[in-house]
Order: sequence, then C-alpha cells, then structure tokens
Amino acid sequence: MDLQKKFRITVIISYAILIAYCIISLFPFLWSGAVSLTPMTYENENGEEVGVDIMKWPPEINIFKWQFFGAPGTGENYIKIFEITPFARWILNTVIYAVLVTLGNLLLDSVGGYAFARLRFPFKNMWFILFLSTLMIPMHVKMIPLYNLMVDYGFVNRYIGLFLPKITQVSGLFLMRQFFMGIPRSLEEAAKLDGASIFTTFFRIILPMSKPAMAALSIYIFMGTWNDFLWPLLITSKKEMFTLTMGLNFFNATYYTFWQYMMAASLLITLPMVVIFLSFQKQFISSGITSGMKG
Amino acid sequence: MIFKAKTREAMVGYLFAAPIILAVIAFEFYPVFAAVFYSFTKYQPLQVQQLNNTIVPEDTLSLNLMVFPDDEGLSVEELKESFDLRFFIETDVGITLNKSQKEALRYFETERLLKDFLAGRLKEEVTVKEFMGQYVVREKDEFMKYKPNLVGFGNFKKMMDDPYFWTSLKNTVVYTAIVVPIQTFLAVFLAVIANGNIRGKNFFKLVFFIPAITSSAAISMIFKLIYAKPGVLNRVIGTSVDWLQNPATALPAIMIMNIWTTSGYFMITYLAGLQNIPDTLFEAADIDGASFWQKFSRITLPLLRPQILFVSTMGIIGCMQVFDQIYFLIENMRNVTLAFYIYRNAFEYSKMGYASSIAMVLFAIILIITVLQRKFIKEEAYF
Repeated sequence: MDLQKKFRITVIISYAILIAYCIISLFPFLWSGAVSLTPMTYENENGEEVGVDIMKWPPEINIFKWQFFGAPGTGENYIKIFEITPFARWILNTVIYAVLVTLGNLLLDSVGGYAFARLRFPFKNMWFILFLSTLMIPMHVKMIPLYNLMVDYGFVNRYIGLFLPKITQVSGLFLMRQFFMGIPRSLEEAAKLDGASIFTTFFRIILPMSKPAMAALSIYIFMGTWNDFLWPLLITSKKEMFTLTMGLNFFNATYYTFWQYMMAASLLITLPMVVIFLSFQKQFISSGITSGMKG
Repeated sequence: MIFKAKTREAMVGYLFAAPIILAVIAFEFYPVFAAVFYSFTKYQPLQVQQLNNTIVPEDTLSLNLMVFPDDEGLSVEELKESFDLRFFIETDVGITLNKSQKEALRYFETERLLKDFLAGRLKEEVTVKEFMGQYVVREKDEFMKYKPNLVGFGNFKKMMDDPYFWTSLKNTVVYTAIVVPIQTFLAVFLAVIANGNIRGKNFFKLVFFIPAITSSAAISMIFKLIYAKPGVLNRVIGTSVDWLQNPATALPAIMIMNIWTTSGYFMITYLAGLQNIPDTLFEAADIDGASFWQKFSRITLPLLRPQILFVSTMGIIGCMQVFDQIYFLIENMRNVTLAFYIYRNAFEYSKMGYASSIAMVLFAIILIITVLQRKFIKEEAYF
C-alpha cells in the first residue's frame, strides 16, 4: 500500500513539474502574443485617448471579451507592419532563400550521399574524411573569405549570394548516406540483373523509397535556412533584399519602442515554423536531427 | 558498352559527388585556408574597395593640375613640373599606398599619362586598378589585385594586449561553462520525469520543442520585451533593473534565455535514450527500495552517458559560437562574445586580418573539443 501511495505522489509531482515547464516554455510567446494584439492607444470610458501598459502585472487579459492589458484587442498591428516596412518582400525573399537551399540540398545531398553510400570511385575515402573534417569548422572562421568571395563575384545583395554557398551541405549528405546504407543491397542487385543503369536504379528505385529521409532533410534544411541570421546579415544590406530575420533586426533598430509591431513581426516569423513542426512532428522528433540547432 | 562496369561506376560516382565536392572546395576549404592566411596579414577591405572604385582619369587629373586638356599652350614638360605623383595617387585616385606599392610607383609612366591627358584619351571611366595597371606596366600586379600586408604573428601579438579580446574570450568560456551543465541537467531531469508513468507525453514534447524551432532573432526580440527596463520581468518581480544594459546582469540574462531555448529540445533526445533502458531495471530498483536520486545516479546517468556526452559536446560547440543573441541584445562591449568580436572587427572596424586571427583562436578551441569528443565517443558521429 505504502509503495502505491508513494507512486501516486511521484506521478502528481511529475505532472506538476512538466506542466510548470510547459508554462515556462510558452509564457514568453503568450505574452508577446497578447502584446501583438494590443492597440497602441485606445479610447477609455471617459472618451480620452490613452496609451496601453503592455507590461502590466497581472496582465488583465480576458480572451472572451477579447481584452488585453485592459484595452480592446485588435489585429491592426499585423497589417500595419506590412505598411511601414517591405514585410511582404521580406517574406518572399525568405521563401526564395529557404526553398532554393532546400531543393538544392534535396537533389545534391541525395546524389552525393548515394555516391558515398554505394558507389566505388577513386579517392572516395579521402573525400569522406575531408568532408567529415569540415563539420568542425565554425561559420565565424569561414565567413570573412566567404563574404569577400561573394563581393568579388558581385553576389552581394542578390539571391545567388544568399543561397549558393548553402546549396549543398555536408551534414545533409551524411544524413542521406546513412539512410541509403540502411537499404538492403539486394534491391539494387536485382535491378542490375534486369539491366538497369545506376541512374535508373537511383532515380527510379532508391529515391522513391527515400521519402522519410528526404522529408527529414527538407525540414532540417528549411528550418535552418528560414531561421538563419548570420549569412543574410553579411550578404544583404539593402532593405529590399532582407530576409525575415534581417527584417526583425530592422525593427529592432528602427521601431524599438513599438513593442506591438516588434511582437507581431516576431510571431509572424515563428508561425510558419510552428505550422510545419506540428504537421511533421514525427520527422522532427525521430530523425535524430541534432547538428545545426542553436547551442 | 564502351566502358567496363567498374569504370562506369567510378564515373557515375564522381558525377554524383561532383556538386558537393566542388561546393566543399569553394565554400569550406578555400575559406578556411584563406582565413588562416588572412590571420597573418593586415587585411583591410577598404583598400580592396579603393582599387575597385571607378574614376574618369581626365577629370581626376584636371582636378589635380587645375587645367583642362583643351586649355591652350599646355606642354607635357610644363605639367610635369607641377605634378606630384604620390599626392595625385593618394589623394585624387584614392589609394592608401603600402610599402611595396610606394616602391612600384617608380615605374609609373608619368609622361605617357600626361601625353594621353593632353591628347584627350582619358575620357572613359575606368576602375582604379585598370588605371594603375595601364601606367605601372612593370609592377602592375601591385595594383591589379589587392595584396594584404603580411604581418607575421603581429595580429596574435596584438591580441595578447587587447583587453576586449580577453573579455570576449572570458565571456565565451563563462557562458559555455554555465549554460551547458545547467541545460544538460535540466534536460535529463525533465526527460526522467517524462519517462515515468505519464499520459500526454506527446503534448509535453510538442510544447517543449517550440522554443527550439523559433529563430534566434525572434527569441531575442521576445526576450527583449521581458528583460527591458520597463519590461515584464521587472514588473513581475518588482525590481527596476535594466537587465541587458547592466554589465553584471546582461550575460546571465542571455544564458537563461539560451537554457530556456534548448533544454526542452535536448530533453527529447534524452527521452529517446531513456526509452531504450529496460523498465525492468527500474522495477528491480523499486523493489529493492531505491530512492529517486539513487535510481537517477546509479541507473539513469550511467546508461545515458553516450547521449549526454554527445549532446553536451554539441552544446559546447554551439555555445562557443553564440552570436545572434549577442548581436540583437547586447550593447555593452564588456559583455560581447568571441564570435561577436570577430564579426565586429571584420565588418564594423574593417580589420579582417585581425578578425581572422581571433577566429583562429575560436577554431582552435572547437577543434580541441571535437578531438576530445571523438576520443571519448568511439562510435561514428550521429548522422
């Protein structure tokens, strides 16, 4: 009996801790969400135009009355940020950047990964070891020559300068290679006996089987590119070429007193990632994607 | 069937691997070797820019000589007397001359330039390097391509006397030394709890993951709201500290933010590891009357060792490079990190050589950590 009681207490404490950490994880998002829905000023009962105290504690939020910090909620900030900045253009730039990098990696990491997983070619091991060694090079070591390279070719403030250096990545190649190595060889041997070339075998048989790995790779690359800040910081200096993270930097520098706009912009950037995450949770959690995440 | 099967396989192999081999050469190896080279030079991008600027030589010369080519009665000899080449190159053409460039000016064909000027042959816009190449034919390499000055170990010596270098190094090490153990402990702790007899595990996983998929830029902005002087944190706990401006609190504030960002995500990695530990082990311990801490330290930690080693090295490597959050939130130079100081030197102070030598220090630290990790973890990397 005693053991069972102890067990029940343990379970209750466990729930308490997990729920507490959930609140800690969500609190900053919820607060900024509330701020993003608050007007800059509003008319109070006396008909006076007053500002809103968005740091009020307790926050006086009433979802049912759609009230935040005592003021009536509004979606205006989300429209306003498109008017005061080229926000739509930033979305477009980020989509172009993230999609091109993802497509590039999907194709090139797969073919490269297959070459390293299955094909025999001279110096394969040498290349493999060299590739492995690049994984430990910090971006901050490479960024100066890489930036100068882009300047020399006139790629600054252009999409090509953004996506070209990221178009195929060693970590993606390893992810695909690992997957291909897990596929039984008998399939390829059967195809070979039927007279299929390596090309046909790869594109017709192997690639269609690799959807799970490719989904994991796309998510990993897309997310990393969408959230990337350092490279756009170096390559884009014109407002029209900013990505969304650079756009946030612009808000941070120009609209730093307009919390409502900053929070609306921050949440708009986050939203697509959350949607993708919720739709592909399995790939996120099970793929063992670890590198490239912020430390 | 022109080639043997083996040859064909090798050819296809290279064809498949070619894009990434080229990319690695261009975007990994070249930058690393260039960075090593830069670190021994005084590399100033402003001078690169000077060579790429364009001039209309005729206008530039007119400005210097205060005459126009179609003025009457001008002769090359006359112009030559009043022409100061060094001054012309440095002020009007706009090149900050280095030592070897100064020497190369001996070969500058002043007479030909002045003749061309009078003949009106200098009306076309050219880049500075093209212009110099035309008139310093013998030593034109000095001007055609920017050559950074080799300074040997000068940058590294300078680093030793640079208080900001030491501050940023110290900040980076302190940051890592505090963030990694706490985030590891918190993540393992949460994983152990979630691994118990809990319903809704997936819900908790989802929620804990959200900070990790949010861009560091957005997280920084959201935490600015919390840490600002009129911000949420001060209101909730009733203080009035400017958390990000105060040098004593700025770095701890960033550390807490980072722990918040990553702990939930790492927890999921540990949870996967825990689920491989057979329940019978814990049940046996329960029967023997083991306490929670006994089970934690005797069963969980030893069995999670490979995951902990791997994840915490990834954490160390990530923390050593912390940049975005510092860029967004830190204004005080006393609180910057190594990665930020590299960026600032290269792109704000235009000292790319010096920045590269600081990058070498960062590189060395990360190299050592990776080598140690490889030594401790025998298995192939997790990919």
